[in-house]
Amino acid sequence: MKFVDEFRDAQLGRVLTAEILAAVEPGHHYKVMEVCGGHTHSIYKYGLADVLPEEVELVHGPGCPVCVIPMGRIDDGIAISRHERVIFACFGDMMRVPGSEYTLLEAKAQGSDIRMVYSPLDALRIARENPDREVVFFAIGFETTAPSTALTLKRAKQEGIANFSCVCNHVTIVPPLRALLESPDLRLDGFIGPGHVCTVVGARPFNFIPADYGKPVVISGFEPLDILQSVLMILRQLGEGRCAVENQYTRVVPQEGNLRALEVLAEVFELRPHFEWRGLGFISNSALKLNDAYADFDAELRFETPGVRVADPKACQCGEVLKGVIKPWECKVFGTACTPEHAIGTCMVSPEGACAAYYNFGRFSRERAAV
Amino acid sequence: MSCSDEHCITCGDQGIPMRVESVSDPGEATCLDRDEQEHTVITELVEPVNPGDEVLVHAGVAIGRI
Repeated sequence: MKFVDEFRDAQLGRVLTAEILAAVEPGHHYKVMEVCGGHTHSIYKYGLADVLPEEVELVHGPGCPVCVIPMGRIDDGIAISRHERVIFACFGDMMRVPGSEYTLLEAKAQGSDIRMVYSPLDALRIARENPDREVVFFAIGFETTAPSTALTLKRAKQEGIANFSCVCNHVTIVPPLRALLESPDLRLDGFIGPGHVCTVVGARPFNFIPADYGKPVVISGFEPLDILQSVLMILRQLGEGRCAVENQYTRVVPQEGNLRALEVLAEVFELRPHFEWRGLGFISNSALKLNDAYADFDAELRFETPGVRVADPKACQCGEVLKGVIKPWECKVFGTACTPEHAIGTCMVSPEGACAAYYNFGRFSRERAAV
Repeated sequence: MSCSDEHCITCGDQGIPMRVESVSDPGEATCLDRDEQEHTVITELVEPVNPGDEVLVHAGVAIGRI
């Protein structure tokens, strides 16, 4: 496929890795965080960590929307799904995320009508087809998925579909990045920026990273050559003693983002004063809620929810993984008590989660290296 | 598509490059993914689109042009 196959060319990959090796300063160890879970997935899937020089360490960031959902929000979703007339719609991965007692999949087995959808628009279709039921969509995702929820809510309002509502868990990427940069236990040299978030918000929101913290950011695509080229661009900035936001993903990301998408987001959502992130705690202005014009579609106003904060299981170290403090395999329960089939932590659930990506693709190379 | 395939779309936060096959209702288009599977995609955030255009799709909505 155009714009895909040419970014998986092995020969070009070898050229890029040679250039990366040449850009490494002897004796220097580079820690580069890939912000987005999509990058984490690609890095393990294509074995990119294996072809990089050992001086370049990739650190996984908090950009997997499933991984950062706190357990209390799952409990809220399950509580809503147990209302008699409710059809509860969510993305597939959410169904396996543990709440304090159950997952949504277990709640479904216990009798709740919970359905997997690929898009919020599918949930709206279910509402149209079931006018005597209450259809609730459990919305998650960063600025990439939020426009889809916003357009769905606009359609619901235009069509007067009163039996549709939404539990909004949409989050924004900049506040957690700032929280990470303020964290004393993490020393990072640069960031691989989230290409698809930038398709919506543009490059400007990331200017604070070089301006306030002196670190380079390279907005990157998701194919293997995109990521290798982004690493090279970061090393070159560091070698030249400069830091800036650069755009490797120019074939998709316009400098100003998608203004129409930003308008739709502003029309439907407003910032939440506080939102809890798994492993990162409460972060101000880091999530979205429906604004007053769309309050009729806010499931949190329509249904009673426990709204209780639930501490993560003690054995789970998703918080440290999400902050890049430890690698997935350094967690005590990784690959033993916690596997994709029986996840304890969220990072093992989504394929974008660092633990699941490493479990599915990365562990074999490490096992081979140990032999 | 599935989690073990090219991209997982079950969490809805994975961008899928697609090619516009035909433009149907205003703001909607039929698009083909890498495996030539058809999807109905909302295109109102990236309009105008024409057959042959490449778009980036998140959770059923095109958020960018390629």
